[in-house]
Amino acid sequence: MAEFARAESAGGRAFGRLIVYGLLVLVAIYYLMPLFVMLTTSVKSLEEIRAGNLVALPTSITFDAWSKAWGTACTGADCSGLKGNFWASMSFVLPAVVISTLIGAFNGYVLTLWRFKGSDILFTTMLVGCFIPFQVVLLPMAQTLGWLGLANTTPGLVFVHVVYGLAFTTLFFRNFYVSVPEEMVKAARIDGAGFFTIFWRIILPLSPPIIVVCVIWQFTQIWNDFLFGVVFSGGERQPITVALNNLVNTSTGVKEYNVDMAAAIIAALPTLFVYVVAGKYFVRGLTAGSVKG
Amino acid sequence: MGALSIRNVVKRYGSVTILKSINLEVRDGEFVILVGPSGCGKSTLLNMIAGLDTVSEGEIAIGGRVVNNLPPKDRDIAMVFQSYALYPTMNVRENILFGLRIRKATAQEMEGALARVAKTLQMEHLLDRKPSQLSGGQRQRVAMGRALARDPALFLFDEPLSNLDAKLRVDMRTEIKLLHDRVKTTIVYVTHDQIEAMTLGDRIVVMKEGEVRQVGTPQEVYDDPADLFVAGFIGSPSMNFIRCTVESRNGRLGVSLHDGAGTFFVPAPPSITGLGERAGKEVILGIRPEQITDKDPYAGANPHSIEQSARIEVVQPTGPDTLVLIRLNGTPVTCRVHPGASPKASQTMGLSFDLSKLVFFDPQTEKRIR
Ligand SMILES: Nc1ncnc2c1ncn2[C@@H]1O[C@H](COP(=O)(O)OP(=O)(O)OP(=O)(O)O)[C@@H](O)[C@H]1O
Ligand SMILES: [Mg+2]
Repeated sequence: MAEFARAESAGGRAFGRLIVYGLLVLVAIYYLMPLFVMLTTSVKSLEEIRAGNLVALPTSITFDAWSKAWGTACTGADCSGLKGNFWASMSFVLPAVVISTLIGAFNGYVLTLWRFKGSDILFTTMLVGCFIPFQVVLLPMAQTLGWLGLANTTPGLVFVHVVYGLAFTTLFFRNFYVSVPEEMVKAARIDGAGFFTIFWRIILPLSPPIIVVCVIWQFTQIWNDFLFGVVFSGGERQPITVALNNLVNTSTGVKEYNVDMAAAIIAALPTLFVYVVAGKYFVRGLTAGSVKG
Repeated sequence: MGALSIRNVVKRYGSVTILKSINLEVRDGEFVILVGPSGCGKSTLLNMIAGLDTVSEGEIAIGGRVVNNLPPKDRDIAMVFQSYALYPTMNVRENILFGLRIRKATAQEMEGALARVAKTLQMEHLLDRKPSQLSGGQRQRVAMGRALARDPALFLFDEPLSNLDAKLRVDMRTEIKLLHDRVKTTIVYVTHDQIEAMTLGDRIVVMKEGEVRQVGTPQEVYDDPADLFVAGFIGSPSMNFIRCTVESRNGRLGVSLHDGAGTFFVPAPPSITGLGERAGKEVILGIRPEQITDKDPYAGANPHSIEQSARIEVVQPTGPDTLVLIRLNGTPVTCRVHPGASPKASQTMGLSFDLSKLVFFDPQTEKRIR
């Protein structure tokens, strides 16, 4: 009798699994479909695109569209592809990510482990920053950049993204560090370590999970940002998102879907890369601190 | 020269006074226990000694040097925390040597310290592990090792054993005691476990609500409590307190107790002269459970004891002893009898009251009547 019940419940469980996995596969297909279409379209020739159907596999593979998107496609008046914009994006995204993450870590450290009068109020005020839409800060930011003499420069764009990202990075690190026992800092103080030594030698080494979360978040935000890019960047060194938009909207002659697709994938590759490399830490970092280790 | 002097130390957070004028002298090499209920300010006092918290008023001196304005690292102390507070990203070796490394010790000094600590605490085989790969007891030992490495003038322990299970706690208690015998460094040790306090300390400081209630050796604090709180806090099961009225009978002062069936007179030790002026007034009689036992048929007549039967309400065997609850003056009273006496609930049992160590308290001030 018990045997039978167990067999049945095992069968029931297998059936449940089947449904769950079936659903997961369906959803995955749904999400991967656009990527599939983009990838296949980008390696087709224009004739094949015009003749064939959207989801069909390419009959012959050609990377002409990719090299055109990278090197010779026209984004507005300029016809040198996305190459320059790719590196332009890199040149402000990397420093902006690194700086905002470091400052966020430092803020989180001070706000949790060296509390002072008003530190909680300060944190709450910073949190408000998470809810301010981009559009609201455009004008004041332009004014500030003008005063600082950073208008239309790469450091200016870095500055904008660092300031805007601080609310988020501080939030991440603060919430991570609240689970660090205060006694650890006390022990380090008795051992003779000072404010910065404790940060570098004890707190930062604890932080890789949340650093990964923060880097993924910031990289995605800043790389994919369009509005700040279009407003605050100099003409020739536009971010890749702005260039992509111009490339797709440049209407000279026929619409080259394969080049558009290749360009879109090129623009998305760095974020994809960051997710793939750091993704497994991402989930771990998001849930860290919720379970005592 | 005292190892640690605390003079009129006060701690306030805003308008709240947490510690009210603490005074304490600790001799060199002494093992002093701070004990008291939760929230009485033990950790606060320890943090102030360590320099992790500021002193609102008064003076703290370590080794004769006033340290009020010295940062923790310059006070020549080491501290062991309840949560161990090991550095999770460093292995045991790095944890132990972190303090020395920060202080720029030479490689030779560090090697020497490591060898000494690892040997003292028997953890040579653990040096390359991370804290997460250690058991609770081992982590505890590493935390002590970190304190030992620097060879400080004063050790501070803040409830170091309260995260361990009961068995391990007893083992580590012994280990700490042995360690102190070996290194002979002055220790101030915080606990709210009165058994830990009794077994470990050379002297016990009993605190309540930011005040020191009594300082003394474990036996002094046990036998000669200064007030009702200390008497009730130290000892397990705790002292029985019975409200009664002082009366004089045949020229002797004492109190009468009734157990429901009848009333009997309990003469007070003649040394307690303070009772004289309280004839007819209410006092609180304190008697420890082991002072009420079954009659020992082989013992000769004890001039300090009286015999009286009482009805048993509850029986609680603990193994070595059996605790018996009776009721006197309406209060439940715990007695400690031999299991061989095989008491049964709701029977009447002959009990012997040892009166030589009776204590009396003023019900208003809660102070001892001496
Ligand atoms: N930063 C602070 N601000 C205000 N009050 C505080 C602060 N730190 C501690 N207290 C108060 O001081 C009192 C003493 O705290 P303390 O931690 O010294 O108690 P304790 O005796 O160590 O208790 P436990 O046995 O629970 O550890 C408590 O009432 C606590 O609420
Ligand atoms: Mg405490």
